[in-house]
Amino acid sequence: MQKRYVGLLLFVLLPWTVLATESTGLEIMTHVDQREDGDTLRQHMKQTLVDRNGRERVRQLVLLRKDVGGDKKIISFFLEPANIRDTSLLTFDYDSVQKDDDQWLYLPALKKVRRISSADRGDYFMGTDFSFEDMKQTPELDDYQWHLMGVVNVGGYDCWQVEGKPVSEQVAQELGYSRMVQFIRKDNWMAVQVNYWDLAQRPLKTMRVLALKEIEGIWTATEIEMVNQQSHHKTLLSFSDQIYNESMNDRLFSQRSLKRGYRGQ
Amino acid sequence: MKPLFERIVHRAWWVLLFLLLVTVGFASQMPKLHLETNIEEMLPKNMDAYLNKQRLEKDFNAADMVVIGILKDDKEGIYNAHTLALVDELTQWLRTRKEFRTLALADLMSLSTIKDIRGTEDGMDVVPFMPHPASSPEAIAQLRHRLVLNGLYMGSMVSEDGKGTLIVVRPAADYVGKYHDIYQLLVEKVSEIQKRGGAEEILITGRPVVEGVFGVYMPQDMQQMQPLILLLLVVLLAFSFRNVRGVLIPLAVVVLSEIWMLGTMAAVGIPMYTVTTMLPILILAIGIADSVHLLTHIRVEAGRDASLSRSASIVLAMQAMWSPILMTTLTTAAGFLAMLTSDLIPMQYFGIFAAVGIVYAFVITILLIPAIESVLPKREQPLKQLSFGRYLTWVGHVVIHHPRQICAGFAIVLLCSTYGLTQLNVDSSLIHQFHPSDPLRQADVVLNDRFSGTNTLDIIIDTGVKDGVLEPSFLQALMQLQTIAEANAMVGDSSSIAEFLAEMNKVMHGGDEAWRIPPGNASLAAQYLLLYSFSGSPDDFDSFITSDYQQAHVRIQLKSDASADADVLLQHLEQQAKHLFPHVTLEYAGTAYTALRFSDLIIQGQMMSLLLAMTMIFALCCWMFRCISDAALVMLPVAMAVVVDYGMMGLLGIPLEIGTAITGAMALGIGVDFAIHYLYRYRYHEKLGKPYQAIVLSSNEDTGRAILFNALVVIGGFLVLLTAHLYPQVKLGALVSGSMLVCYLASCYLFPIILRRNTRHG
Repeated sequence: MQKRYVGLLLFVLLPWTVLATESTGLEIMTHVDQREDGDTLRQHMKQTLVDRNGRERVRQLVLLRKDVGGDKKIISFFLEPANIRDTSLLTFDYDSVQKDDDQWLYLPALKKVRRISSADRGDYFMGTDFSFEDMKQTPELDDYQWHLMGVVNVGGYDCWQVEGKPVSEQVAQELGYSRMVQFIRKDNWMAVQVNYWDLAQRPLKTMRVLALKEIEGIWTATEIEMVNQQSHHKTLLSFSDQIYNESMNDRLFSQRSLKRGYRGQ
Repeated sequence: MKPLFERIVHRAWWVLLFLLLVTVGFASQMPKLHLETNIEEMLPKNMDAYLNKQRLEKDFNAADMVVIGILKDDKEGIYNAHTLALVDELTQWLRTRKEFRTLALADLMSLSTIKDIRGTEDGMDVVPFMPHPASSPEAIAQLRHRLVLNGLYMGSMVSEDGKGTLIVVRPAADYVGKYHDIYQLLVEKVSEIQKRGGAEEILITGRPVVEGVFGVYMPQDMQQMQPLILLLLVVLLAFSFRNVRGVLIPLAVVVLSEIWMLGTMAAVGIPMYTVTTMLPILILAIGIADSVHLLTHIRVEAGRDASLSRSASIVLAMQAMWSPILMTTLTTAAGFLAMLTSDLIPMQYFGIFAAVGIVYAFVITILLIPAIESVLPKREQPLKQLSFGRYLTWVGHVVIHHPRQICAGFAIVLLCSTYGLTQLNVDSSLIHQFHPSDPLRQADVVLNDRFSGTNTLDIIIDTGVKDGVLEPSFLQALMQLQTIAEANAMVGDSSSIAEFLAEMNKVMHGGDEAWRIPPGNASLAAQYLLLYSFSGSPDDFDSFITSDYQQAHVRIQLKSDASADADVLLQHLEQQAKHLFPHVTLEYAGTAYTALRFSDLIIQGQMMSLLLAMTMIFALCCWMFRCISDAALVMLPVAMAVVVDYGMMGLLGIPLEIGTAITGAMALGIGVDFAIHYLYRYRYHEKLGKPYQAIVLSSNEDTGRAILFNALVVIGGFLVLLTAHLYPQVKLGALVSGSMLVCYLASCYLFPIILRRNTRHG
């Protein structure tokens, strides 16, 4: 008798919970993923790497991005410090999960372009506290099961609180996270805070958008911080001088431009 | 003092009640005592080894590591699926334990975490050697191939013969000083793994573990020895006094002294350190002397004049004995208080509380013995029936009739000892304090034999300018420093950022070994590090270079933890560094350096203590005998004992170290008592106008007996230390008992002969 009741209860409740949570969580994340970010973008990035003793290392870069279909092509030029000036990086970020991203790095001291074998998605991005995956607007939506936890106030704005859990153990290993919680501003679909947990379920990192503004009608984060709670290492990214939707020649995104360096083109 | 003693005798019950109440008070404090096993707590906080260690931890995130060795001694060695899975299992398990810090690569190094810098067709890639436990024969062969080709981890992480690999892990900050717990945890894990079967042998060592286990073994050892000492006391007391009372009263005195001393320690909140765990045993062996002297004299007085009333004979004995007992108490206390010159906190407490305990023993002796003797029914034995009578008379005759032979004998001993002094050397090794059969020592020996070494000498070099480390000239100097270090037979391996940059340079030049040199310009070095950061973790090189590229850290691995080995290496490096790095100063840290500085500190401290003890005891003797020449005479036997003590060490090849250096001041404080008692009695009989022969014979009869007993207890008490599991106690026991034997012989055989030439009423 009892068993039947339990079964009945499950039968009634289960589909409802699945529908109510996962679909809305995924819906929100899809909105975030599809948020307008311009077809091209040129901007200045300042990376400040702060170690646990407060020692800083600062790098200045210029980033140029062009969307080609679902793919993104990005070329970055290091301006400072002097010893890595003119080092440049070309990235082809393919929309399809099946195709690994392509990356080439030009080292002026060697005068050679080096191909960087496609990074594991959990790898750190240029020695910062961001992983390659963290640098993207949203994670690959298919990697996680999304679950809407509720609405909370972050910095004076109502935010969706969405939890993401890797769909499989293998994906978790690949990403290096066992769980993440995103805080998405209701008004503009911007993720303003993300908390990450490591594979042993311990708090690992927290990403915060410290400043954002609307530029040419596009919401743009201008200051992002990532703090590693375990190593107490911190990375601050500041963006400035944004130009959206400027026309960019495809030839700009080539190994030849890597060598030529940034001449303000 | 007579009225005081009469009062004690007349109000005996009140005195006993007072003693009982004080004892209960101190005993109630004892549960508060706690053990401090963290060796760091022992170091003076201004010592460079300590400061540099802090700096190493702050700037380079580098610490002392726990080492787990996995050995498989068959043909395939560790290169098989089972062993590699085991390495991975242990690595993943360590990650989940709160006892360890496993954030960065340098925190947890094993085949499952270390990374290969790999040259690709047109670039460089950083990949873990073993992202997943290798299981197929191809993957295993590839792993071995990569390790050999990379070379950086050969010897340090995998043995050259392929039959062993290490897991090196860092204890978490919360577990600093609780290394014994970590050792227990690992031992349990290992036994759990071994229950499942498998051909692997798993060994645990590393400096923190060695220190932690040592810190726990020693108190355990001491506790086990306490009953042995008490048993020895019972046997010796029974043999000397031949009645129950003679056994129980002195025992009560020392047990009460021990309770009072430990109670005081607990009440003022001082923890037990490894060294101070010896105190209870010390008090048992030394504190007994006062009561033995006093009891012997009460018997002597009672036996000499049977007509005396019970209380009168007690008061008479007290009057005769209180001042020599007080003096010997003061001299012994002075010997221990001299340890306050030491820079090491536990040594200071050792001195203070040994002195406190001895003063307590004196107070208890003075109060308890007259009180209890007057309360107990009179049942004395005549003096002649006391033991050692025949021996003591024989000693007197030998002294009187064979002075030349005795002098010759001591001259020979002194000559040999003086030669021994010239052979004395300084060396300390913690691992050699363990018995060769101890699993920890065995593990340490095996792992040091197979791998690059479990001890470290760390060098911090500050170039003074940002990016200074990346300069080719600096990187080349770093490489040269490593080459010089590695030429030392005790050095297994060394690592620095220069090595990694050279490896990257090689990889970027098509794997050509000729390019395994530091990058030719600083920009290239910076760009290599940037390139590395695309596939490595941000903190992979934190332990070798600060993030502003201004300071570098070189870690040298040593196969020996002996301070003498570290000394040789350090002196050579310091000399070479002057040429290699003319404009910057090098700072040293690491387990080998700490051990070396620690050893220096102990030796300096002990030499200072010895000199101070000599001076203080001499001053006390001057005051006591009101005569400089008598004071000098009293010092003679014990000075000889100290010379013999250090001479023996030289002859037997026992180096000066924490356990042995301390013996000089200890021997001095304890041994001077014999001569003081002897001289007191000698001068007493002399004043009575007796001839030399009679003085010697009667001095031997009363004080000689007590001194003999005192010597037997101290020698026996310290000989019990020979049963200890750790060598510092064994060496300390052998040396102190040996020098006490010499001191006894010098006081009772040689001393009277010297006194004959210094007769006051010649």
